[in-house]
Amino acid sequence: MKTPYQMLGVASNATDAEIKQAYLQKVKDNPPDRDQKQFQLMHDAYLKIKDEKSRLNYDLFTLPVANFDEVVDKALSSGKKPTLTAVQFKALLAASVDESTITQAITMAEK
Amino acid sequence: MNEIIIGIDLGTTNSEVAVVEQGKVTVIADGDKNILPSYVGIDDNGDIIVGETARNQYLAYPERTIKSIKRLMGENTQVNLADQKYTPQEISAIILKRLKAIAETYLGQPVSKAVITVPAYFSDAQRQATREAGEIAGLDVVRMINEPTAAALAYDAGEQEKKHVLVYDLGGGTFDVSVVNIEAGVVEVLSSHGDNHLGGDDFDQQIIEYLLKHLQETYGVDARKHSKAMARITRAAENAKFLLSEQPYAQIEEEYLLENDGTPIHLSIELSRMVYEEMIEDYINVTMDAVHIAMKGAKLAMSDIDEIVLVGGSTRTPCIRERLSNEFGFEPHSEVDADLCVAMGAAIQAAMINGQEVDTVLVDVTPYTYGTAAIGTLDGESYPFMFVPIIHKNSVLPNRKVEAFATSHDGQMAVDVTIYQGEDPDALNNVKIGEFRVEGLQDVERGNIVTLALELDLNGILHVSAEEKATGLEKSITIENALSNFEGSTLDTAKQRISSLFGQLDSSLYGQDESLVIEHEQPAAPEIEAAQATIKKAESLFETISSEDKEDMVDLIEMISANIEAKDIAGLDKPVAELNDIIYYLES
Repeated sequence: MKTPYQMLGVASNATDAEIKQAYLQKVKDNPPDRDQKQFQLMHDAYLKIKDEKSRLNYDLFTLPVANFDEVVDKALSSGKKPTLTAVQFKALLAASVDESTITQAITMAEK
Repeated sequence: MNEIIIGIDLGTTNSEVAVVEQGKVTVIADGDKNILPSYVGIDDNGDIIVGETARNQYLAYPERTIKSIKRLMGENTQVNLADQKYTPQEISAIILKRLKAIAETYLGQPVSKAVITVPAYFSDAQRQATREAGEIAGLDVVRMINEPTAAALAYDAGEQEKKHVLVYDLGGGTFDVSVVNIEAGVVEVLSSHGDNHLGGDDFDQQIIEYLLKHLQETYGVDARKHSKAMARITRAAENAKFLLSEQPYAQIEEEYLLENDGTPIHLSIELSRMVYEEMIEDYINVTMDAVHIAMKGAKLAMSDIDEIVLVGGSTRTPCIRERLSNEFGFEPHSEVDADLCVAMGAAIQAAMINGQEVDTVLVDVTPYTYGTAAIGTLDGESYPFMFVPIIHKNSVLPNRKVEAFATSHDGQMAVDVTIYQGEDPDALNNVKIGEFRVEGLQDVERGNIVTLALELDLNGILHVSAEEKATGLEKSITIENALSNFEGSTLDTAKQRISSLFGQLDSSLYGQDESLVIEHEQPAAPEIEAAQATIKKAESLFETISSEDKEDMVDLIEMISANIEAKDIAGLDKPVAELNDIIYYLES
């Protein structure tokens, strides 16, 4: 399984602009009208790492790629202190690793 | 080389057809005009007429002329044309057939595939209806793209410089606004919003009301009862609107408009631009609100927008330019042709689908949020119809999202799934667009997981499926098409009906289309008729049979239809016999 960085062909320390450029180039090479699957993969990869927030989220919650020391270093060196509210912290704890089980099991109405 | 795919802008007031040849876009002219008025009529001889001639006879024969049919697309209704009833899809198909013939005459070869544009804010039902219109016209609609996006494609023409563009598209009947990022040869729509029942027709209506009021107050007559007078008033209102785009006053003169107790009544009144702009101010406000919503959806500030592109005839109204330049601090662009750029964009996209080299690639979004209802909380209280959004507005197309749900009580063997379109946390305030039931779930304790998958295709059409996780039991639907609501009216019969209408036409006008029409009129071979009867019978049983049997039958019907299409009589024997066997087995 390739990482989003590998899929878009960018370095793990690429900037927002570099990632966007790489994504647009991939779209140009794989227009949605010609290959929907490929486009969706590229778009998903792009959404995962398009900005600081999504990258941090990706690094933290995608196992086994995450190297926690690295992630923490990155978070601390980014200048902004990571501020977590109590609610956000609770949400983080409640989230599970496998994305399919994160989806809230909301009870369906039966008539 | 691949077969040519044409690009069509099927507008409320005007329609156009365009193609890309050797990398160049051409809007195809019919005679000396490249705009076809979206009017359909029946002339004195009972023949069907489309475009300018139909528009011209509208004054004399409003009862056998149809205009602005696009406003009814997707609605479960019919219109009267010379005492015959037609669905909006059929009327639209007549316009499409004409555009197809114009393209065929120009290209010198038959055309069977098209990219058709639709307003970005067209709903699922409106998109389905547009696709059906294409089918009735004998066109395979390979893609539907959004009008403002098409305009952006035509506007961009392979620019490399990064910029944010606001496309403001106000047509005869629909309004769209899209925020687009153009960068590195990709036209990326960031957000879309709109109103699918707002356009120049509403402006006309305001002037019409004004004139009617004037007639009532001055002469004490109600012109509404006179269809010919109404047609003249409508045309006069339209003309006044056009004049007011150019000058501050318009003089409206209609002599001998109607008779009141033997006295002829002449309509004579001056309308100023100021009065007119007051009449339409509310509509313009609605469009400006939509602009703000689209900007918010794109997460951009007004100052981030580099250019404004105006699309659609109604953007000629001066106060629209003024309002936009006040908001954004600069003038909208005017070098793109507001009437033709949508068809040009459709042709560019058609070329791209066809594998031709093009400079620009398109990434579009959905303007709607789609989801379902579930037991949850609303305003802090337990509520059975909480809206659960699954695909959010401004998500990229195509899109597939899966959500897991659990049954709510022990031994629950079925779930009803309803799909809504909208933003309201109360599902019942959103638009219900489809429902289905998943039956035969395992008899287990509550908490049985059922996953619901929503898939929006590149045309913006929604496909839905649900699956019981433990067993893989699956049920899927495409939101029902609008035509199926008409009893006995299927796409095939509609297709034949519209084709035969065209059969009465002056053949010289239609060139290549003629041979196709004749083909339709030939009596079908008896084998084909028998096969069609069998299919009808099979379909009539669908309601009452198991999904397994239905699947088998659908497969056979598909095989038979393909053979009928290919005129492969010999190939019909086996599948028809098999289908008859199943019917016999089910009925006995």
